[in-house]
Amino acid sequence: MVTPVYLVVSLLGIAFALGILGKPLRKVAGVITLATMAFASYISVSWFMGLWFGEQSAAMVFTAGFRPPFSINLLMGFEEAFFLSLVNLAGLFGTLFLYRTLMKSGVNAFVILLILIMGLNVIIMTRDLFNLFVFMEISSIATAGIIILNPHQKTISAGFKYMLATGIVAGILLLGIIFFYHFTGTLNLDDTIRVNIEAWKGITVALFFILIAVIVELKPFPANGWGLDVYESVPGGIGMLISTASASAMLYVVYKLLPIAPPVFFQILTTIGIGTFFFSNLLALKQTHPNRLLGYSSVGQIGLITGVIGLSHFLGNQFGLIAASLLISHYLAKAGLFWISGILNKTHIREWSVIRQNRLLLFLFSLFVFLLLGFPPFPAFYGKWELIMQLAGSGQFFWLGAILVASLLEGVYLFRWLGYAMKLEAPAGEPLRVGWNQYIPLGIFGLATFVTGYYATHLSSYGSLINLIPLAFALGFFLIDFLPVYIKNTLAIAGMGFYFYYLYPDLNGFDMVFSAIFLVGGILTLLAGYAYKGKRIGFYPTALMMFAGLIGLVEAKTTLEFFFAWEVMTAGSYFLIIRGKKSMEHALSYMLFSLGGAYLILAGFSLASIGQSTIVLDILATAPLYAPLIFILLAIGFMTKTASIGLHIWLPGAHAEAETDVSPMVSSILLKAGVFGLIILIIRMGEQHLGSLSILYILSWIGAITAVLGNLMAAFQEDAKRLLAYSSIGVLGYILFGLALFSHLGWLAAIAIAVTHFLFKALLFLAIGGVVWRLKTKEMYRMGGLITRMPFTFISVLIGIIVLAGIPPLSGFAGKWIFTNAVIEKEWFFQGALISFAGIIAFLYCFRLIHTIFLGQLKDEHRKVNEAPFWILAPQYIILIIVMVFSVLPNSLLHPIGEMLKPYFPDGALTWQGQYATSIFGYWNGTWVMYVVVAIFLLVFLWLWFMNRKAYRVKQFNIVFAAERPFRPETTHFAYNFFAPYKKAIGFLAEPGVTRFWGHVSEGSHAIAELIRRIYSGNGQVYLFQIMAFIVVVYLISFGGF
Amino acid sequence: MENIWIKIGYALLTIFIVLNYGLLLQGLFRKIGARVGRRHGIRIWQPWVDIIKNYTFRSRIYHGVMYYLGPVFRLTGGIGLLLFLPVIYGSEMFSNFSFTGDLMLVLYFQFFGVLGMALGAGESGHPYSAIGVSRGLSQVTAFELPLTLGVLAIGLQYHTLNINEIVAAQQGSILNWTFFTNPFAAAAMLLSFLGAMGRSPFDVVLAPQEIPIGPPTEFNSSLLGVLQLNRAIFPVAKLILFMNLLFGGATNWGELIIKTFFIYFWSVFVGIAFPRFRVDQSVRWFLSIPLILGVIAIILIKF
Amino acid sequence: MHWFSLEYIAMNLGFLLILIGLWGIITRKNILRIIISFSLFDTGTHIVIVAIGYIRNRTAPILDTLALQKDTASKIVDPLPQALVLTAIVIGLGVTALLLVYAMKLFETKKTLDIHRFNDLKW
Repeated sequence: MVTPVYLVVSLLGIAFALGILGKPLRKVAGVITLATMAFASYISVSWFMGLWFGEQSAAMVFTAGFRPPFSINLLMGFEEAFFLSLVNLAGLFGTLFLYRTLMKSGVNAFVILLILIMGLNVIIMTRDLFNLFVFMEISSIATAGIIILNPHQKTISAGFKYMLATGIVAGILLLGIIFFYHFTGTLNLDDTIRVNIEAWKGITVALFFILIAVIVELKPFPANGWGLDVYESVPGGIGMLISTASASAMLYVVYKLLPIAPPVFFQILTTIGIGTFFFSNLLALKQTHPNRLLGYSSVGQIGLITGVIGLSHFLGNQFGLIAASLLISHYLAKAGLFWISGILNKTHIREWSVIRQNRLLLFLFSLFVFLLLGFPPFPAFYGKWELIMQLAGSGQFFWLGAILVASLLEGVYLFRWLGYAMKLEAPAGEPLRVGWNQYIPLGIFGLATFVTGYYATHLSSYGSLINLIPLAFALGFFLIDFLPVYIKNTLAIAGMGFYFYYLYPDLNGFDMVFSAIFLVGGILTLLAGYAYKGKRIGFYPTALMMFAGLIGLVEAKTTLEFFFAWEVMTAGSYFLIIRGKKSMEHALSYMLFSLGGAYLILAGFSLASIGQSTIVLDILATAPLYAPLIFILLAIGFMTKTASIGLHIWLPGAHAEAETDVSPMVSSILLKAGVFGLIILIIRMGEQHLGSLSILYILSWIGAITAVLGNLMAAFQEDAKRLLAYSSIGVLGYILFGLALFSHLGWLAAIAIAVTHFLFKALLFLAIGGVVWRLKTKEMYRMGGLITRMPFTFISVLIGIIVLAGIPPLSGFAGKWIFTNAVIEKEWFFQGALISFAGIIAFLYCFRLIHTIFLGQLKDEHRKVNEAPFWILAPQYIILIIVMVFSVLPNSLLHPIGEMLKPYFPDGALTWQGQYATSIFGYWNGTWVMYVVVAIFLLVFLWLWFMNRKAYRVKQFNIVFAAERPFRPETTHFAYNFFAPYKKAIGFLAEPGVTRFWGHVSEGSHAIAELIRRIYSGNGQVYLFQIMAFIVVVYLISFGGF
Repeated sequence: MENIWIKIGYALLTIFIVLNYGLLLQGLFRKIGARVGRRHGIRIWQPWVDIIKNYTFRSRIYHGVMYYLGPVFRLTGGIGLLLFLPVIYGSEMFSNFSFTGDLMLVLYFQFFGVLGMALGAGESGHPYSAIGVSRGLSQVTAFELPLTLGVLAIGLQYHTLNINEIVAAQQGSILNWTFFTNPFAAAAMLLSFLGAMGRSPFDVVLAPQEIPIGPPTEFNSSLLGVLQLNRAIFPVAKLILFMNLLFGGATNWGELIIKTFFIYFWSVFVGIAFPRFRVDQSVRWFLSIPLILGVIAIILIKF
Repeated sequence: MHWFSLEYIAMNLGFLLILIGLWGIITRKNILRIIISFSLFDTGTHIVIVAIGYIRNRTAPILDTLALQKDTASKIVDPLPQALVLTAIVIGLGVTALLLVYAMKLFETKKTLDIHRFNDLKW
């Protein structure tokens, strides 16, 4: 093992050599620098590996031949090696990325870089306080030197502010150090740790100066304007160095000083850190400059890690994993994002749409965003999970809440940005040019996200339980994305089919029902994919990611696995949804509601795990504390996915604007994830009470109101897919109501409706998707009379709406019948009546859907429209067959579900004799109903046919029209605002009040952000004043007895 | 399975009786309406004449498959509704096919014909048909809510959804009728019934007095004939349903005819006395007084 | 410690300089004056350092006389702060120099040294 002193020697030596021999070495300076940094990286990484695998023990290096305190000593321990590796690798790849720019700037640029990295190395290793001060100054001088390399007025003024700020901070640090020396008589950390610090009077002030100076170096809110200005003004490549290498080193300094810090310091760190995390993310909402945005995000992330350090007492032995995974995520993501920003070189995040010229960059951009937000399988996922679990376990609910809210805010701006990049019109300009020296670091850091994610999975206490295979299968499609659609589609279907076959023997009960919906349903909707030509880049990996998440939910045995799957599903579906042409905002609101919901679920799980020894899902049933709260958190979390009223505003746009085969996926399949979550929750926690009020009772009202309003809004839509989307909201309201009934019949209805909803909604979305495919419009009033052009699609829609409306003899009626029985049994009449009312309102939109599209007047431009493509029709007809089987033989669906429910709800089951079902109140024989209806229908039809055999068919306009010929189809087709009188009567119920509410929430938080960020006035003196005020306030609060 | 042929025979008999009774009611009430308006009115057998006339037209046209099937759906709905009801209490044969489903089946099967017909009318391409459907569906949703509350109240009162059992529970005395034992539910349902019958003030769907509007606008000849058959059967089926739920059912055809006559008379009486509502007015009206009555019924029965 | 003892005066003077420096940095508009204020601040800290190392009635830790080489520890002031202050001065020099470079560059861009004119980056 190379002794760590060579880190300093090589970096410093080469820097000096280059400085002295500058001119002659001009050509090779870059290569030499890179080699030096590679050497430094090698040393630190080999130490890290050695220490990790235990082949090596920590080493202390003594300089100048004396033992401390008479000399400076450097420590190479496990943590040091870790941080050194981060810093040196950042230096190596950062230099590589900047290679061409630096070559233009000349040798000195390389010298400064080397000095910066060398300074950071010593900062990490040194055990001497004064030495720490010296090298902090060297690093900040070097940073200022790098900043000034870019001779732009904004950069220079930012650098000046930076210099002033760090200068003052260093002065304060120096004062602290000297007083510390004055009181303890030593500058050596190891020495002072042995000294009983409390014994020294007045040392608190000295310590405070040292610690606060280090904290200010981390750019805490609000004393961080100088840092943000630097981030904004420097090119991405340099921002990357500051955000990763410098910030990591400074974080380590905080960590290193902990042993000498008084206990109150931990609370200060927590408050400052999490406060910074929160406010940076809040203020970033209004930010449009990419680098400054990244700056806010950097400051925020570092704040979070600072907070975690402050909370370390509460995190037990998980502290290391949490802090390291959060840091690595920040490190990789920020490096990548700053680099991409450096390549694009744009001043507004809206201009990032140019990134679409280069798919790899876009991929990396999304990768880093998801990494930063702690999505699985990346390291921060486990970090955040453990953090929340431990915080809940130690009762730190305030911080838990603050971290989750702040993370959500972070999601807002990151996903908005990602959406801009994926969807906005790209501004005209020169094509992107990316050099090999830029690809290499980006590629390596991109790969590292997966590698570190893999290790984090194995390091986290329960991570090894997680089944990564489906996710890996999905991600594998990124590698074969160059293949044509039909190959990938076949592979995807085969993979899902095989997985279902593989799971099938172990499935029973709810798992069986839902894995059938998720996997078999997935295969059915994927069939429609054959209708696409070309490559459909990006579709298969993300679609399969969603399905991997969905099936993961079913397979999950522990809360961690469940949450993992939930997040995978969310990520996959986000990309599916954003594929739609106008889906930018809808995908964003989908993502934000999902994120919010996921955080509530996380909080719920964490509360449930308090005082329990495992994390299996059954801990929900045995949660000793806060059971009603856990129930509410999880229920709201799941209801964001089922789009219950109040949380539904993301759904219509997201489902309506999606592609033809994506709409059925997200509508008929994805929504069931929320249902599955609710089932898991309610079956384990049962009926919870808030005081004397049953939460299930509240849910039943939410369900009923959702059903009525969802259906009502559907009736007033002009857009066919939007209509179906609102209808999904309504049907999910029925399901929620059924689950809230918490009885055998209620659940039977809920699950039966869940299955039928899958069938008819897939059917309708595919059929309507086929129409939209041909007509290129979704506005129903632009269609009309298509029954002659698309008869097969018409039949699908006809059967679909009859099932949806619940009219006998088709299978939709089963739900209505069971519901009424369940309602009378439970005596929840008002909600029950609302549900039934909603069912009737469904007629309105069902009729509208079929009439305005297929009946009425055919438009001139549609006279030559063809039937929908075969592959879009094929899955519809498979579904039709299933629907007819369930209709004729209702017990084939209801009986197994009833049997499945009996262990949980033994009372009130239906009694079956063949197809004859009896409940407590009534009876129903689906087969006989079908026989009777078909018989009458045939008789009447034959009678009419016989009587009317000489009838002939007339042309389109041959109608009784006041003895006139209608002018044109557009004016004769009664379609627009179809239910105008109804709207006049009760349309006020469908006013977008909820949308307005969330709009106000969004505007409000943006307005607050706008107000607060005015503190960053851009004036260096104001910044300095803020630093000093910050220090004074922190002092007063923590030591002044405030 | 021999039983089934006998059942079919009785079913056809039921249809025949109800059809003629329905046509008679039509003629009778048109006559009554005319006399109230101091007009002479039609001959009482005019409905039979109209049907025969429609089946014998020489020019017969149609607009498409769904258009052709519309009346079939409509009549199937009417006949099906009738056959799913126990018509005569205590008579196994005149209970027809009520063994296949309970009250919920009957209530939901009503819409089978309505929606099918609406589709048929839609294919004609006539805007007035579509306007009629829009108006009709709007009203249906509105009066369904008080009706549902009433039905739930009855379901709770008798603890069953089996129509036969509901009728059985009302036997013995007139005071056992739901009309008296559960007056608020009955009131809510009878007000909804006005909407279901589609007479004034809720007749804007068809607007029979002036321009031809509503779903049947484009139907002619045999197709219209089929619709007219339904117009005779369907209301009677609804009358039987309400009779069973509220007025103790009927143990023989005579009782049935008397009771249904008066129930029909209720809607005619209101229709003659009150002017027509616009759709938005009727929707609001159903969601006011009948709804409140339904809510009171539920509250009374529950507590 | 005595009211008029050297270390006391030096310490107070140092802190006074620090405060003057901070006050100057925050209130002056001219960048050069700000840099001068910074130097004052820096010098203040240096004086404080030296004042802390000073021990009454002892001499400088320069062991050039024989008398000092015996029993050294009780005759000299604490040598460490003095060593530190040298380093700190050097660093302060570096920082000041770089600040001046910045000042020059700033002047080149806008032909002014008024710090209020350099507020382009904000929020």
